[in-house]
Amino acid sequence: MGMILSVKDLSFSYGARKALDRVSFEMNPGEILCVMGPNGSGKSTLIDCVLGIHKPDSGTLLLDGKEVQAYKRQEIARHAAYVPQNHSVTFPYTVREAVMMGRTAYLPAFGAPGAKDEQLAEEAMDRVGISQLADRPYGSISGGELRLVLLARALCQQTPLILMDEPTAHLDYRNELKFLELVSSLSKEDGISILIATHAPDQAFFFESTGCNVSALFLQKGVVASKGRPGEIITESCLEGIYGIRAKILESDGEKTILLQKSL
Amino acid sequence: MKRLRNAIILILLPLVFIAAALLVGRYSISLREIIETIIRPSAAASENYRVIWYLRLPRAVAAAMCGAALAVSGAAFQGVFRNPLVNSGLLGVSNGAGFGACLAIVFLGGGAYTYILAFVFALLAVVLSYFSGRVSKVTTSVTLILGGVIVSSFFSALISILKFIADPYSQLPSITFWFMGSFADVGYLHFYAFLPMALGMLLIFLSRWRINVLSMGDREAAALGVDVKKYQFLIIGGATLATASAVCISGTIGWVGLVVPHIGRMLVGNNNVRLIPVSMSLGACFLTLMDILSRCISTAEIPIGILCALIGTPFFVYLLKKTRGGGWA
Repeated sequence: MGMILSVKDLSFSYGARKALDRVSFEMNPGEILCVMGPNGSGKSTLIDCVLGIHKPDSGTLLLDGKEVQAYKRQEIARHAAYVPQNHSVTFPYTVREAVMMGRTAYLPAFGAPGAKDEQLAEEAMDRVGISQLADRPYGSISGGELRLVLLARALCQQTPLILMDEPTAHLDYRNELKFLELVSSLSKEDGISILIATHAPDQAFFFESTGCNVSALFLQKGVVASKGRPGEIITESCLEGIYGIRAKILESDGEKTILLQKSL
Repeated sequence: MKRLRNAIILILLPLVFIAAALLVGRYSISLREIIETIIRPSAAASENYRVIWYLRLPRAVAAAMCGAALAVSGAAFQGVFRNPLVNSGLLGVSNGAGFGACLAIVFLGGGAYTYILAFVFALLAVVLSYFSGRVSKVTTSVTLILGGVIVSSFFSALISILKFIADPYSQLPSITFWFMGSFADVGYLHFYAFLPMALGMLLIFLSRWRINVLSMGDREAAALGVDVKKYQFLIIGGATLATASAVCISGTIGWVGLVVPHIGRMLVGNNNVRLIPVSMSLGACFLTLMDILSRCISTAEIPIGILCALIGTPFFVYLLKKTRGGGWA
């Protein structure tokens, strides 16, 4: 089976500031890739490049075997969906309407969603467990629920790849765990590839312990510092090198976790 | 079936108001006479014929069209700029048109020039806003709004200069009345403005689902598969054409574009697929009704801009309380 995403020597700069420097990696169908690194290391920029929002300065970026920049806007949205880090609600659309926006990728130039799109929205809401919220204004639900709405919207796009930018930031323990379980099952059961930018290496351990096909990739100042299986590359010395912290990696019931100790 | 029924209601409703506009007025004509005049114009009494065909009908139709255009442009601008507080004058349309109209009144003796210059300068103002907001080859929503505010204030200063040099006994009152808005002088010649107006409304109507998606923010809209630049151009362009044409007929009536879309939201929700047609219909009904009142309340015509705010505001507050803000609060 072909690669969902194949990135080779990708570089991008904002003016004179280099944000990504010869980044290379690949993603298989159903694989989870945890992209980690300190603030400003280029995680969001990488996502923007995959979405075709930023045009790379050099390198290749193949989405389903084809150069991203060669796709039309709407075609990209049929291959990769996006769950943003922050979403500000301006107009209180109903949850159903917000989820249905994911169908835009399949609508003709001046079209509006029809009964079939509504059906798919219902299924997406059902999949993430927010059907009971369908008619609520999506501005008056909790932060955890909003995250699920955005995930359902991405599922509605029916893409083989979903990009998530720190989706669990601002979530409490339970909501974070619920979200991660959902991501894990989307990868295992639905075969969706998920690129997830995160600040928590613990999440990579979580995916590993739930039996996902998961890889981790550390970015540091736009350069790939290391990549591989989470259990192999997330080490105490790696955390020290990348984040400048002293931490211990503990293991309990077969799952690893990180104990933060001191900033260096 | 339900959608067809709703569509018919939305189209019929303004027609009812236009029909009502034919009925009422200081010169009284009975319902039977009106129907006769409409069906067989050749056989009608010449007085009735003139009042119906040359005064009330063009006026009511113009009010309905302008109401629809202003309301729908307001709704479109609010969606595209993700800001529920803006109206269609946002990008300088109103002040641009105002300057064009003043220019015509002061230097060209008013008349047909007023409409033409108002239209031209309204479009010009938006183009200027676009280029003022352009920073290093891109225009984002924020810089575009900023450009609009700047250009608006620039034209507002120019308007002040013209007011300052205008003849205080003839020209200054004309200017003042133009800004209060009126359909008193509308004739069939003005119907030419319906062409750009209808085109603009059509563009917005066709893109109405995309307005929803654009209101998610440029980045998310792009990720959802919307060519942001293309649709912004279509929608802002459409709204500009519609507003400029409306303003050149009626003078500035900013209230409609700001408030009617919100009334629509309280009634049918935020989805622009429904909100856009509903705003058109409501705007048409509202402005037709206001025009009826403006010529019937007193012997002297009351400028329609005044009535919109005076009557519309309490109505808006009532709706706000009744619907509890429709998801806003």
